[in-house]
Amino acid sequence: MKNPHTWRYLTVQILLALIGLSIPAQIIHLQNSAEAKAILDAVDRYNGWDETFLPKRGDIYDREGHLLAGNQTVYEVGVNLDALKALDALDANARAAQENNIASTAQEYLDMTYNEAMDKMANPPFPDTTYIVLADNVAEDKAQALMTMKTSSLYEPVGKNLNQMGFKSHFQRSYTEGSLASNVLGRVPSQDNAGHSGVEEKYNSPLAGSSITVWVPADPILVRDLPTPVGTTLILTFRREVQAAIEAILDAAVSNTGAVAGTIVVMDPKTGEILAMATSPRPNLNDLAHYGDTLSNEHPLNPAISKDYESGSVFKIFTMAAALDKGVVTPDTTYFDTGIFMIGDVAIRNWNNTVWGLQDMTGCLQHSINTCLAWVATKLGKEDFYSYLQKFGIGHTTGIDLAGEAPGQIRLPTVTGSGWTPIDLGTNAFGQGLSVTPIQMVMAASAIANDGQMVYPHVLYATVQDGKQQNTSPMVVASPIRADTARTLNEMLASSLENEASKALVPGYRLAGKTGTAQIAPYAANNATNASFIGWGPFDDPKFLVYVWLEKPQTDIWGSTVAAPVFKQVVEKLIVLMGIPPDNIRLQSEP
Amino acid sequence: MNNISQFVLKYRQASWRVQLQWLVLFVLGLVAVALVAFGYLNISSRTTRTGREIQTLKENILSEQKENADLETKLASLTSSQVMAQRARDLGFLPVDPASIIYIVVPGYTTPNGIDLSSAETQPVTPVTPPEYTQSLFDWFAEKMQSTVSVSGVRP
Repeated sequence: MKNPHTWRYLTVQILLALIGLSIPAQIIHLQNSAEAKAILDAVDRYNGWDETFLPKRGDIYDREGHLLAGNQTVYEVGVNLDALKALDALDANARAAQENNIASTAQEYLDMTYNEAMDKMANPPFPDTTYIVLADNVAEDKAQALMTMKTSSLYEPVGKNLNQMGFKSHFQRSYTEGSLASNVLGRVPSQDNAGHSGVEEKYNSPLAGSSITVWVPADPILVRDLPTPVGTTLILTFRREVQAAIEAILDAAVSNTGAVAGTIVVMDPKTGEILAMATSPRPNLNDLAHYGDTLSNEHPLNPAISKDYESGSVFKIFTMAAALDKGVVTPDTTYFDTGIFMIGDVAIRNWNNTVWGLQDMTGCLQHSINTCLAWVATKLGKEDFYSYLQKFGIGHTTGIDLAGEAPGQIRLPTVTGSGWTPIDLGTNAFGQGLSVTPIQMVMAASAIANDGQMVYPHVLYATVQDGKQQNTSPMVVASPIRADTARTLNEMLASSLENEASKALVPGYRLAGKTGTAQIAPYAANNATNASFIGWGPFDDPKFLVYVWLEKPQTDIWGSTVAAPVFKQVVEKLIVLMGIPPDNIRLQSEP
Repeated sequence: MNNISQFVLKYRQASWRVQLQWLVLFVLGLVAVALVAFGYLNISSRTTRTGREIQTLKENILSEQKENADLETKLASLTSSQVMAQRARDLGFLPVDPASIIYIVVPGYTTPNGIDLSSAETQPVTPVTPPEYTQSLFDWFAEKMQSTVSVSGVRP
């Protein structure tokens, strides 16, 4: 029998089923609606955030682990303009009162005037700017004082609190030794956090490290390890005590001689490690406001690598090295000096037109006879002479690991259009008509001091990354002369110093060296000179190679009288600081 | 047949007893669910608290690393070569005269070379957070199921 109410039951069932189905349908609809997407997006914003972790710039140490360049926390102090604007809703005068309080505080603590602070708040760079920086690189003590003031005035009424003031900390480069080795270190301006010049520029990439951006979840269950990127730490080849002592000697020499500038480079001739590189004047790296006061095109940050000049007679050691190595002359070869030597129709003369008569090659070096070295160069011939100069690296950068190295200038007969003339062969022989940097001279001379092996000059002793130290290995870049040639020339240079009772001699230590005095072009216009001295010791086992350069000394123009005594002072310091005993004791202790 | 029906009726449990059994079973089920829920909530809350502590400690580490860098720089400034030289002079020390140095030959002595900072700067090994500290109970269950399935799949 058919139930007459079946259709009613069926209708109710269908209705209930539809209601039941409409619930999940509505759920699906809601979950996929535009509003739901907006809500989910909003939720995502609170799930976490992308955070960029900037690495601490790597520290720079001296050879003994003294910090030369580190980092210190400074603060950026700013104002939340949105929060300031919100005060307009409170009271017409509220915002003005608050700006007045912030500007007064800024004047007191942030080295800025009241009007400057008011102007920054009133004239943001863009209309929709929400935050402006009042001052950056604020010292920690000042920032802490401001933060304390802000905290203590938190519940004070508008106009008496600093609630709109914000603080962000970041690292700033700090040079713990001030001006010490500033020419080597370079600097890191706070505005771009990148190294400029010196070690800071050359090794900017490893020092700066790489920033890491990671998703930081707000949910503590999803907590993950946050990265702490750190730049590579550098250890330099020099000791701060040696550098400081050499700088003190140089500063005194520049002051005493009236020179406009000076440079001293000390290198280990066996390893190429720079033991000191001093320049005067030099800037204080912590006083960037006056950083440029001592610098100009004429006086770059590090003349030791970036300023080339006519070195004069110190260059004669390379002419003699080439001639000895080629077998053109021996130490006993004689030359009769008449005070003049003709190349074509051009006369080459000695300083003050002195005539030295019959001299052997040691005598030529001892008296620094221009005509003799010009004669040696012509005997050698232009092909061999310039070939040797190129082997010594003249006219090329040394590749030292410092930014801003200059290659120097040399005219080569083999290069068309270089402007080379036959007279260049004669003048180049005694260091005129070409220009070199002190570091080129030091590298080239290392071949003479180091049994013919020329070493790569460098300031990096080691890098430290992830707790592992990687030491730099010494590198021989060329062998321009034979070992026996180097020993012969060493003996000649040591003898010439002893024979002339040079002011460079240090009692108890046998040293090899050569003075240099070069007129500064235009030669006829002035009597200014570059006074130089290059030398090394101890003679039989060199531990240091020293190059001294004084620009335009006023008390005396000669390298032998102004640069040689500076060399002596440097050596006297080095033997103490490096613990080098006198020759008789050292040789006694060696097996 | 009749005997059997009587036997069943005679030994049939009283309805209140059956109801009680069902009730006990239900309560036991409820307790089991409550225990699991309690365990889950307990672990979740402890994980959350630990996570928050880790976040705080990490912030502290970063803050102390900054402070260390500051202090290291400050210490280096306070012991810079100029400062130390001035302190030495103030204490009455004078630069040594090379001629006054007495050298003693010590067989086997070698001058020290540069510093080795590798040990001083050793970075701590980055700890790896085990999944037990981050995955939910459901994640753990799903992983176990998956591993069981994959192990069964390769069984010969």
